[in-house]
Amino acid sequence: MNTSIQVKALSVFAGKECLLGPVSFQVAPGGTLVIMGETGAGKSLIAQAILGTLPAALRAEGDIYINGNRVDQLPQVERAKLWGRDIATLPQEPWRALDPLMRSFGQVQEAHRFVARRSPDEAHQATQSAFQTLSLTGAEQRLPGALSGGMAQRVAFAAATAAKAPILLADEPTKGLDAERHSKVIDLLAEVPQAGGTLLAITHEATVARRLGGVMLVLREGTLVEQGPTAKVLNAPTDSYTQSLLDADPQNWPVSAPASLGETVLTVKNLAVARGNRKLFQEFNLELREGEKLALTGPSGIGKTTLLDALAGLLKPQSGTVLRDPSLSRHGIQKLYQDPPAAFPDRISLSRTLKDVARLHRTDWNEVLHHLEQLGISPALLNRRPDEVSGGELQRISIARALTVKPKILLADEPTSRLDPITQRETLAMLAGIAAKTRISIVLVTHDQNIAQKWADRTISLVAAPASTE
Amino acid sequence: MAHYFKSVLTVLAARGLQAIIVSVIVGIVSFAMMQALPGDAAFRIAAGRYGYDMMDAAAAEAVRLELGLDAPWFVQLWGWLGQLAQFDLGNSLVYGTPVVDEIATQLGYSLLLAGGAVAASLMIALPVGIATGLNPNSLLDRICMGLSIFLRAVPAFALGVVLVLIFAVQLKLFPVAGFRGIENLILPSFTLGIGLAAVSNRVVRDAVVDAMNSDWQLFARTKGLSARLTLTRHVLRNAALPVVTYVGVQLAYLIEGVVIVETVFAWPGIGHALVHAIFGRDIAMVQGTALTLGLLYVALNLCVDLACRGIDPRERAL
Repeated sequence: MNTSIQVKALSVFAGKECLLGPVSFQVAPGGTLVIMGETGAGKSLIAQAILGTLPAALRAEGDIYINGNRVDQLPQVERAKLWGRDIATLPQEPWRALDPLMRSFGQVQEAHRFVARRSPDEAHQATQSAFQTLSLTGAEQRLPGALSGGMAQRVAFAAATAAKAPILLADEPTKGLDAERHSKVIDLLAEVPQAGGTLLAITHEATVARRLGGVMLVLREGTLVEQGPTAKVLNAPTDSYTQSLLDADPQNWPVSAPASLGETVLTVKNLAVARGNRKLFQEFNLELREGEKLALTGPSGIGKTTLLDALAGLLKPQSGTVLRDPSLSRHGIQKLYQDPPAAFPDRISLSRTLKDVARLHRTDWNEVLHHLEQLGISPALLNRRPDEVSGGELQRISIARALTVKPKILLADEPTSRLDPITQRETLAMLAGIAAKTRISIVLVTHDQNIAQKWADRTISLVAAPASTE
Repeated sequence: MAHYFKSVLTVLAARGLQAIIVSVIVGIVSFAMMQALPGDAAFRIAAGRYGYDMMDAAAAEAVRLELGLDAPWFVQLWGWLGQLAQFDLGNSLVYGTPVVDEIATQLGYSLLLAGGAVAASLMIALPVGIATGLNPNSLLDRICMGLSIFLRAVPAFALGVVLVLIFAVQLKLFPVAGFRGIENLILPSFTLGIGLAAVSNRVVRDAVVDAMNSDWQLFARTKGLSARLTLTRHVLRNAALPVVTYVGVQLAYLIEGVVIVETVFAWPGIGHALVHAIFGRDIAMVQGTALTLGLLYVALNLCVDLACRGIDPRERAL
């Protein structure tokens, strides 16, 4: 049989410890393989083993065939020749995957020029049309730092697929995207098998898996728990873990109990904010009450993060006022960031980071440990560095860190968009529990309407400002 | 483009203000240090003018009266600062020629040497740093680490003498000292350059290691760019940023080094002139050269700022 990817008894080891496998599967041209599982289940290891980009400390065993040729024993230089031309890869963290110093147009154009080997003129045109197709018009000259998460994802997609490689590996392609972009990216991905290509998608979202179809692997802690046609696995899962993964989908969450509201802690009147010269929205009004859980939704790039910065007092509003309750201390508003690794110093152990904050704000260390326990973080984890714990653990540690300052308002910028559904549900439930217990108000920015409806007491949908005439 | 010019103007204004502050501080400090030197300044100046054998107490007294060295220190300081405010550095007390003229000739030589030193240091640091950065913790990396520590620990004057002994005295490849032509530039440039490169090659190495471990480097590879294109189009530019900033930090070492190395190689530059002026108690020359070196530091830092803006588009973005 003619296969694009064939994997026989693939296992990945760190020293003697087995992190993944053994798994075996094959996908033919025109086929789709979806790999589902929670964070840390080893989903990405499969993609890395196929590509040949496993970290040096890890070792893969088993046979891997690409288009019928065995690749796992090829030298690295030979495997690299497949990249971009035979296998395209969508990165998991599009922001970090783009060169921070090169404008987005250039990063796509160079792939057309040097990977697809087009002439400079053709490469320029191909890049322009890619920006149009992906509705990135206007973002050509922006640096990655000025792109929203969704835009960065599409720029990375355009760069990765420039040479039209028949196999596409997509690792969490819809992470952090709003509903509209979400379905656009899925449409893009679904075109790959329709055009005769092969799609290998890694996701933790059942909706994504359902729309992509094909066959499916479900992984838990590196072990294969279920394998079969996607529709069958999703409709009639035979394994209890698969079932719990499906239950964690925000669509299936129960509606949270409404909070009892206290005094107003933050009043926002006629707020207008701008990033650089770009006006984002205007006449934003808000009265936030004590203990309230508020969700802010809106399409990607509308300025949800910028609004949070303005609420936190980190950014000067263009006009309007943000009035804090006088009882709020200077540190009364704390922010949780979208990208937990970027919110921690790289080379310093987590316990030192937390202890520094506790000392600075004269918080009893036992209180910090108590928060960590509530959040399900074992104190042993704190001896590690930020890159040695999972994203979900790190986000929960950052919640504990914010609580150390004893805030009255917590501004959470898509804190769970990078987490798998089970961890996401647990984390948001913990956040809601803490809010109810300590009477903290939470503003949650999310792109997921389901989360907003099920989790928050109230939802505000942001709409774009009319294009300014300046 | 407007943003770019605006940010350049901000830099110019900040460095301009710094130049004024440096002038005042260096002016006062160099004056105070000359006052604090032991010995009779008028006597030394007279000796400088007429030679030790030709002068006597009367000549020294005449010099003292002529130059107003008997006036209280605050009168002299005020006079000096007043001249400074009018961009007047005065005349050399020994030669009687305007200090500005002396410095104008010497400064050219010193800039030539400084430029040569930076060029020499980059010629060593860039290839070594990139090679070790691409192969971190290799044998080469560890050897370079050891050499770097050793060379940084050797003072510039000792290194200069060793280079002279090997390349000028033994191999007769380059002249020993003085300035007759461009071949005189090589040894002093490398004396300074090796000291600079000893540290900057490690900075280059770390910057390259960081860039090579980044997510964007991996994505550039997996989107299909070759290792070479990834290096030239992405890694080097990102790695250049910390390197250029660090070279700016090194300029302090460079200016200190110019004074020492010019003396070792009898290089007719401003550092050499400063040392001579101190021995001759030529107060106006000392103040003028010290001031020029201070302003040179500000000017070189300005160049570094502008270079960083050239490399990093984020600085001039929205």
